[in-house]
Amino acid sequence: MSQPLLRVENLRTHLFLKRGVVKAVDGVNLHVDAGETLGLVGESGSGKSMTSLSILRLLPRQSGRIVEGHIWVDGVDLASLSEEEMARDWRGRRVSMVSQDPMTSLNPVFTVGDQVGAPFRYHGLAHGARAVREAAVKVLRRVRIPSPEKRLDDYPHQFSGGMRQRVVAAMAIACAPRLLIADEPTSNLDVTIQVQMIALFRELQRDSGLGIILITHDLGVAASICQRVAVMYAGRIVEVGDVRTIYRSPAHPYTQALLNAIPHLGQRRRRLHAIAGQPPSLIDPPVGCRFAARCSRRTAQCDAEYPPEVELASGHKVACWRPGPEAA
Amino acid sequence: MLLEVRDLKKHFPVGSGLLRASGAVRAVDGVSFSVDVGETFALVGESGCGKTTIARMVLMLERPTAGAILFDGKDLAGMSGAGLKAYRRQVQAVFQDPYASLNPRLRVRTIIAEPILAHERSGRAALRRRVEEVLDVVGLPAAAADLFPHEFSGGQRQRIAIARALAVNPRCIVLDEPISALDVSIRAQVLNLLADIQERFRLTYLIIAHDLALVEHFSTRVGVMYLGNMVEAGPTDAVFDRPRHPYTQALLASVPRPDPDHQPPLDAIRGEIASAMAPPSGCKFHPRCPRAIDRCAVEVPAWRSLGRDHAGACHLAEGA
Repeated sequence: MSQPLLRVENLRTHLFLKRGVVKAVDGVNLHVDAGETLGLVGESGSGKSMTSLSILRLLPRQSGRIVEGHIWVDGVDLASLSEEEMARDWRGRRVSMVSQDPMTSLNPVFTVGDQVGAPFRYHGLAHGARAVREAAVKVLRRVRIPSPEKRLDDYPHQFSGGMRQRVVAAMAIACAPRLLIADEPTSNLDVTIQVQMIALFRELQRDSGLGIILITHDLGVAASICQRVAVMYAGRIVEVGDVRTIYRSPAHPYTQALLNAIPHLGQRRRRLHAIAGQPPSLIDPPVGCRFAARCSRRTAQCDAEYPPEVELASGHKVACWRPGPEAA
Repeated sequence: MLLEVRDLKKHFPVGSGLLRASGAVRAVDGVSFSVDVGETFALVGESGCGKTTIARMVLMLERPTAGAILFDGKDLAGMSGAGLKAYRRQVQAVFQDPYASLNPRLRVRTIIAEPILAHERSGRAALRRRVEEVLDVVGLPAAAADLFPHEFSGGQRQRIAIARALAVNPRCIVLDEPISALDVSIRAQVLNLLADIQERFRLTYLIIAHDLALVEHFSTRVGVMYLGNMVEAGPTDAVFDRPRHPYTQALLASVPRPDPDHQPPLDAIRGEIASAMAPPSGCKFHPRCPRAIDRCAVEVPAWRSLGRDHAGACHLAEGA
């Protein structure tokens, strides 16, 4: 079997805050193959963004630290690299990121050409103003910005929301990375623009074999882009599988509850199955299953011990003492 | 009709620069609809379509440029003194972000008591009872009254905002994206609560939302807006089952569904929303419309019936 593009092993990332140590990521294992999109689905505070910031080594400098685990990309453990190595050879070069808000990820006082050209200059992939401009035009064309040569000297505010998100995507793919982490890349966009962004991601992937981690809380968006989906809850992955398995026959009660808790088009005015309660504190998480307090299948065992991960079918893994289909 | 909006307009003046002629953003450009007692009317559309501006005018946070808003048959513009005060009591609001809509320095008790004290003389004991009563209605313990907003989660904060709206026995609540800032697992709790109190207190809702699945689930009637105009309106079932305006059709087709075998079609809609300062001629949607004909660029489509209580503004939509 060939090596996956990215393999995260037993990752633990803690945030050392005044009020205590937040175990934001608490033993995460995942892998992404080349040309594949893995969806990382979860609520805020589930650790999905902290997982991605760990991979990019962009944790809050004062408080965040990877305390355990490995992040293998192309045989190199990113968790063990120095900041210099990370900045020179990896971040923005082989592993890059698109974040949620295109307005805050673009600098308002620099032209779009300056900003899209920056990764080429920084990583030495284009030399001289002319070459950088040409490279910027080329990558803006790849993300389907109309007449990019005329727009290089415009500022971010002169672009619409959808076009700005394309500019951010252009910066992320400028150096032809192997892995792209997209953190809620469509959640501030209107649906008609969302569709266009979804199509763009698929296209970039098909052309380049890019591996993508898509972080989202939107189960609809995840279904339309991802090949595999991992569901996170309170710092851990509770279920992972190919997209059809996760949506058609989820085995973890949390995944099932999540799918039942939102209205879907075409299902009218039935009462929604609310998930009672709230996620646990990650400063002092329960010893047993972290979803137990909100789970309809809870037993004494669930409170006593964290469930081991079991593989129900090839690639379909779930961490639950009583996995299986929902009771009718 | 409890709430009626007639040919409502709101134009914001912009850019009165030294040499440049000033223009106006036509945020709302002639919108009419009405909401009956106990109904949930939803306004949907993409950002910039004017739905929030309408909500703000209904809440009297913004003054209309033209047109009228009638509550119980009475024109808001003609109200003053006691009438106006009564209106402000009867129409309450729940906003999107419960982190911004609750004053962080006030205890929950004060937050909920504020609207009560603004509208009536109330003794300490009665006030205390009322606060605890509405907290109970939204599913929070009486002890919550003595805490500050930061001691609550997002979902609980939204419950506090709902309790505050309920405190003065309103007849209508404007819900501006009431769940979009909440976590997925919490949304259903808040939605179910809103449905319960609507039934219990016979409330009328005007809900502003961009999430079409939510609107289909939650509303009884819906109005679809595009660039300041209503393009289609009708009973939620009719609009979602048989959308007649190409914009409504495109919107519904574009919604990503939690179904791996469903791919939103790419050709449902082109480009991006035009500027409300210089909207396209004729039908404002025509540059993005997959079915536009020559007439669409010249002639503004008239508002006409498309079936029982279902209407829209499109040259191509046939009456039922």
